[in-house]
Amino acid sequence: MQEVLTQETLSTVELLAIPVLPLIGAMVVGLFGWFLKERLSHWITCTLVIASTVLSIHVFIQVMGGASFHGNFWTWIISGDLDIPIGMMIDRLTTVMMMTVTIVSACVHIYTIGYMHGDPGYSRFFSYISAFTFSMLVLVMGNSFFTLFFGWEAVGLFSYLLIGFWYQRETATVAAMKAFIVNRVGDFGFAVGILAVWYYFGTVEYSKVFAAVPALVESGVSLSFLSWDVSAITFICLALFVGAMGKSGQVPLHVWLPDSMEGPTPISALIHAATMVTAGVFMVARLSPMFEYSEVALAAVVLVGATTAWMCATIGLVQNDIKRVIAYSTCSQLGYMFVACGVSAYSAGIFHLMTHAYFKALLFLAAGSVIHAVMAEQDIRKMGQLRKYMPVTYVTMFLAALALSGIPPFAGFFSKDLIIEATAVREMGWVSDVAYYAVISGVFMTAFYTFRMFFLTFHNSDRVPAETKAHLHESPKVITIPLIILAVGAVLSGWIGVTYLEMGELGAYFDGSIFVLDQHNPLMKLQVLEHDHGQSHFWLENGPLILALSGIGVAFLMYFRETKYPAMIANTLPRLHTFLLNKWYWDELYEKAIIRPTRHLGTWFWQKGDLGMIDGKLIHTGIVDSIKEAAARLRAVQTGMVYHYAYAMVIGVFGFLTYLMLNA
Amino acid sequence: MANVTFPFPFPANMEILLPEIIIAVMAMVILLFDLFVSKEKKQISAWLAIATCIAAAITTVNVTGSESMMTFYGFFVQDYFAAFTKLLMLAATVFGIILSLDYMKEETNIGEYYALMLFALLGMMLMVSATNFITMYLGVELMALSVYVLVGYQRDVLRSSEAALKYFILGSLSSGMLLYGISFLYGTTGNFDFNLIGEALANSGDSARTATLVGMLFVLAGMAFKVSVAPFHMWTPDAYEGAPTPVTAFMSVGPKVAGFAILMRILVDAMPALEHDYVTVLLWMAVLSLAVGNIAAIAQRNIKRMMAYSTIGHVGFVLLGLIAASPEGYAAILIYMTIYLFMTMGTFAIIILMRRDGIQGELLDDFAGMSKVRPGYALAMGLMMFSLAGIPFLGGFWAKFAVIAAVIDAGHLYLGLAAIMFSAIGAFYYIRVVKYIYFDEERVAFNFSDNVLMKATVALTSIIIVVIGVYPDPVMDVCRMALAGLV
Repeated sequence: MQEVLTQETLSTVELLAIPVLPLIGAMVVGLFGWFLKERLSHWITCTLVIASTVLSIHVFIQVMGGASFHGNFWTWIISGDLDIPIGMMIDRLTTVMMMTVTIVSACVHIYTIGYMHGDPGYSRFFSYISAFTFSMLVLVMGNSFFTLFFGWEAVGLFSYLLIGFWYQRETATVAAMKAFIVNRVGDFGFAVGILAVWYYFGTVEYSKVFAAVPALVESGVSLSFLSWDVSAITFICLALFVGAMGKSGQVPLHVWLPDSMEGPTPISALIHAATMVTAGVFMVARLSPMFEYSEVALAAVVLVGATTAWMCATIGLVQNDIKRVIAYSTCSQLGYMFVACGVSAYSAGIFHLMTHAYFKALLFLAAGSVIHAVMAEQDIRKMGQLRKYMPVTYVTMFLAALALSGIPPFAGFFSKDLIIEATAVREMGWVSDVAYYAVISGVFMTAFYTFRMFFLTFHNSDRVPAETKAHLHESPKVITIPLIILAVGAVLSGWIGVTYLEMGELGAYFDGSIFVLDQHNPLMKLQVLEHDHGQSHFWLENGPLILALSGIGVAFLMYFRETKYPAMIANTLPRLHTFLLNKWYWDELYEKAIIRPTRHLGTWFWQKGDLGMIDGKLIHTGIVDSIKEAAARLRAVQTGMVYHYAYAMVIGVFGFLTYLMLNA
Repeated sequence: MANVTFPFPFPANMEILLPEIIIAVMAMVILLFDLFVSKEKKQISAWLAIATCIAAAITTVNVTGSESMMTFYGFFVQDYFAAFTKLLMLAATVFGIILSLDYMKEETNIGEYYALMLFALLGMMLMVSATNFITMYLGVELMALSVYVLVGYQRDVLRSSEAALKYFILGSLSSGMLLYGISFLYGTTGNFDFNLIGEALANSGDSARTATLVGMLFVLAGMAFKVSVAPFHMWTPDAYEGAPTPVTAFMSVGPKVAGFAILMRILVDAMPALEHDYVTVLLWMAVLSLAVGNIAAIAQRNIKRMMAYSTIGHVGFVLLGLIAASPEGYAAILIYMTIYLFMTMGTFAIIILMRRDGIQGELLDDFAGMSKVRPGYALAMGLMMFSLAGIPFLGGFWAKFAVIAAVIDAGHLYLGLAAIMFSAIGAFYYIRVVKYIYFDEERVAFNFSDNVLMKATVALTSIIIVVIGVYPDPVMDVCRMALAGLV
């Protein structure tokens, strides 16, 4: 049942090949890994993912030239009114995501060859990351809420499997469970949102839903939810956004993301920095035609994003685990992206998503290279002066740190700057004011914690334990080459995005794939401001840069050489320091407020329900025993005597006869 | 039925009888052949019987046209429905012969054995092509007499003879009931032909209602015995246990297909006017069969007895299709029978493989730990058991799904729910077999025979069950098409 609505020059075979190639790799290596061994396993998966990357770039170029694709390939489910096709919607937004996902994935595949070498689960790991790539591509390429949901759940599954990859470690399995369970909370909202979409629109295809949104808003349909009257579109958007909060690690569902660092570092780069966690941002941008019509939902997006951006940045200031610093930074940067989407600067959000993917993946992979060198040590207090041993890692990580801090001309500068400016000019009352102060103070903190981590690792004093020292060396080429590739992205992607793709311009690159109401459009206001020379925009334009530089400066003063300042500050503000070190006590709060009561409830059900009723009176001695008894009786009836059998037949006939005569 | 005067003219369309003629002739040839060959060559009669079935199957397909055709002055009909059920019975016979190859090798006069199987097959084929009670009764008795002898074939084994005798005595009683019912219907309508009886009953009004109902009930009871519907099922466990295992396999499929096929013809052609009445009777029969089959099986330790109760339970499910009294219901019966054929044959093939060095291999305990010694057979047996229990995505699930969906569509929601409940109870004893195979320690040494055809049967049936389970549409479409001759 092939039904192609519009198609200009894009080949369906090519489009299908992009997700299917990694899937083939995952299945072959997953099923026959025991036979293929390390060498063939990584050759097969890497080749297929690189092929998929090349095709994605090809599609990207074609779409730049004006091609697009909206169409269905197969019918997945038909049940009553519910008709779910499998199809694709390929436009400029999709292709940016496809390219980012496949490039980062390819780099991570290659990097893994070196990083996981000798691990007993080598083939399994490759199978998982290829399957993850497939799921992520389905998520971004699909044309309906159901393909989105399929990809959404599948990436969650592979995230779970990969966090718990070293399943012998208890901390890893606990972290995997935590990630999965916290995501359940988000996915519940997401599923409710999708059902609401189907309920109100009768279809789950993006294009049809988007076309019907204005009519729904016009009609003013509302529903009462927990005695709160809310318009249908707001309800749908908020429910869907709960899913995005779970997947993208936004407060208060962010607790799983730092813990997910228990997984091997390549997947921290791929899943928990560059791709899966950005799915929420992608979703909001993809559904811009819906979010635009709900002021409440937009305000919620801004508030959640700003809170996360600020709060996770404060936590990042004091963490000592190299991966956790980067993880909190990821939460914080995802907050920036949501702020961008909330202030209707979706293109800025996606732009930041793209640049962030490169430099954050680079940061993680470089951190992995460091961890690899210092014998799996992750505490930055036990590092220092590593630049002497690992020059390539040092340089690439320096570039990534500059990009994250937002120093021109590196990638992060362009995208982050755009977000902050957009937040400044968008007038949403107190919401955008709060958000503006949160994100601008976040810039300072970002620069500070990034360079704190960087200096402590590569400069400062040499605190590496003696037994590790003999082992210190630069990582092999399969690790450094992906670092260099990503470094190119971290340096250039922002500049390319602004200069060639014009992501920051009004009505340029994303025109047609992202929808913004004119009265919301912050980019439009920015353009007006640019031509208005009546007042000074010095702070608006240069504030972020000044704050970033001062953040780096403070970090330089405190951490470039070993100084007394860090300990001094911690001793002056002991409460604040402990508060931040303990991550605002979120985990403790959940432990007390949710986990313990749930455990108690579970124990109660187990004791009363399972042991008491199912194993006890109701099922076991009740139903089961009575059936057993019935069976024994029926067995006793079967005496083996012919006359008993004949008697049963005769009784049967006359019983039926009587019944018929009485009822006739 | 035309008025026929002596001397009979040569009947038209005789070629549609060709499959039956082939079987009748070959059965007699095998009987004679057996007398003239040495003991070592007697196995040839088995191959002859298989060849006969294949030839009959090919001719059946060839002589069947899209129009239903009659011969013997309207006594015999050949249509899609008859052809499809005949193919099922031919397949059951071929499987039965393959299962017998090793099992019966040591017996004397095995030519007789295969000839009897062919005669039973001939009887069944006559039944499904019957257009009236006379042809039907002829087929029923030919089938039943052959099967009585087959059950008691191991005459020096006590339980085999005992089973045969019980089956024969009770079978005679049921034949009496059947004839009694037919005579009542003849009395009220003056006809034996199904269609003419149907017309007469539709036009008769209430004048002879009591007599008609008595006739209907006795006919149903007589047929219910043949397909082991409770409360006429009591012979089943004893006969299944006592009979040689290949015969058990054969009689749990062949006569059931024939019986249900002719029941469908009778109900559709002769009794549409009595639908309300026969549905109430069948409803109770179905509930009783489901209950007896699924509950009593739990208490069994002998797998052949367990399979007997399993048959009773499955027959209860098939009755749901008759109760639905709709084309969907009848199609569901054909689907059920098709899938049931493969499940049963696969299961019995494995049971027969279990017989070794003086061990009957019929007790549940004998299966303990099979997965460690023969993982392939263990997997096949596991698949069969899950399929019989109706676990998706195996064939048995669709069989149950089809009948339950049909009966709920026909408005018998509670019956559908009851069937699902009994199916859940029944799942226990099927899965218990899997538990013995996979989770228990080996108790007696396994020493399977290496007959290639048996292995092929196990593999083929397992694959078919899985394929139908994953992609049931083609089989369902064929079954719906086969109904063209009936409704």
